[in-house]
Amino acid sequence: MAIRDNLIEVKDLKKHYHGGAIKALDGVTTDIHPGDVCVVIGPSGSGKSTFLRSLNLLEEPTGGSIVFEGTDITKKKYKDENGKTVRLDVDELRQKMGMVFQHFNLFPHMTILENMTLAPIKVKGMSKEEAEKKALELLDRVGLKDRADAYPIQLSGGQKQRVAIVRALAMEPDVMLFDEPTSALDPEMVGEVLDVMKKLAEEGMTMVVVTHEMGFAREVGNRVLFMADGVLIEEGTPEDIFEHPKSARLQDFLSKVL
Amino acid sequence: MDQFIKWSNFSKIAPYAELFKQGLLVTVLLSLFTVAIGFCLALVLALMRMSNVRPFRSLGIDKNGHQREKGFLAVISKFNPLSFLATAYVEILRSTPVIVQIFIIYFGVFGMIKLPSFDMFGFIKFNRFFPGVVALGMNSGAYLCEIIRSGIQSIDGGQTEAARSLGLSQGQNLRYIIMPQALKNILPAIANEFVVIIKESAITYTIGVQDIMSAVNAVKGATFIIIEPLLVATAIYFCLCFPTSKLIAYFERRMSHGDKR
Repeated sequence: MAIRDNLIEVKDLKKHYHGGAIKALDGVTTDIHPGDVCVVIGPSGSGKSTFLRSLNLLEEPTGGSIVFEGTDITKKKYKDENGKTVRLDVDELRQKMGMVFQHFNLFPHMTILENMTLAPIKVKGMSKEEAEKKALELLDRVGLKDRADAYPIQLSGGQKQRVAIVRALAMEPDVMLFDEPTSALDPEMVGEVLDVMKKLAEEGMTMVVVTHEMGFAREVGNRVLFMADGVLIEEGTPEDIFEHPKSARLQDFLSKVL
Repeated sequence: MDQFIKWSNFSKIAPYAELFKQGLLVTVLLSLFTVAIGFCLALVLALMRMSNVRPFRSLGIDKNGHQREKGFLAVISKFNPLSFLATAYVEILRSTPVIVQIFIIYFGVFGMIKLPSFDMFGFIKFNRFFPGVVALGMNSGAYLCEIIRSGIQSIDGGQTEAARSLGLSQGQNLRYIIMPQALKNILPAIANEFVVIIKESAITYTIGVQDIMSAVNAVKGATFIIIEPLLVATAIYFCLCFPTSKLIAYFERRMSHGDKR
């Protein structure tokens, strides 16, 4: 397959509820390039999370299109290279998009190792040994190798979120989606999670991050999207956004959070 | 006044021990089959109740492509036939007496469908045992359905989101993530239902299934002794039910390693 400039192309993405009475997303257009660390900021209720969750279809958009690696994933059916109509395999699509949630969502009835190996074994068909070896390598990278046999409840919030990140990485996704990954953490644990994300960004992982951590957005992001009321108001480099905000809406937002 | 219990009566009913042994086997088999049928049925019913099948979904969309808020078409568009059927089944089975259901199944349904008459293990009459199992299974299916549904719905939606975002299919999510957690939450309720099934199976003696209660009746008829056979039956039922609830409590402890620090 030819190398594409854009990993994800979002065009006029809409998510309306109650027949358009509530517009969570109202026409968002943007591209995400390979290697991007794209940080989405904005006031609560601005549609940031809905936007992120639409990317792997946890929310079904009501309008617009999302082209991921050349396939419009908002269509239930599409034509493949040979012109044959095939059904969109949402499960296959989601394997390529790792997702990290605000509330970690680790599986409480499984050990950390089981949490990490379940999808590689059941979905990718990896052998147990191979999956465990890989999981332990990943856990080692985030300094949690010795907790492999612990249950999620035995970990701190920061540790849980680090596990959640490597659990998603174990599927070797092409892009990682972070939905407010540090918002449910105690302040002293935010750093350890951001460090892991920073390392990941340095390794070249494509990331879309919804966050309230302006420091992270400025330092790690190479693009910042500012959303309000379901609309993408401004986008640019961290410098554009934080030093030279154009719209009044963004200036107002920054004056409150910085 | 006569003594409540005469110890001599126990030796008089001792020759009928074989009847109680057979009754015990029937009750155990009856309960096991009922649990199996009930559980499978309940799983299907619970999934039907939670399904999102709406054949008239498109009627709820107006000319502009918007979802209708109210009116006849909006109601029709939300109609889920699977969920409706399962709900109706559960409500009907829960709101009528078991004995009525058993008679309807035995005299009604299996009055039309002729079952082969042969004996299992040499003494269990299949054409009475089978309707009994079907009726009890259908009844407990309704109760277990509600237990399973409450268990599945008690699991945080984030679990499903996490599982699906890892690429697990809906079925895999249910099997590996939702059901293990749901099952752990509903084990006490399931233990309760299993014990109820063992005890409730006594009612099948009304259609001639030779369970423990029918042994009591047989002994009563032959010897005119009433209390002592009943006490034997009481002891047998207790010895069945008590270990059952203990066994399930053991599984409950074993499954709870995720909630201890």
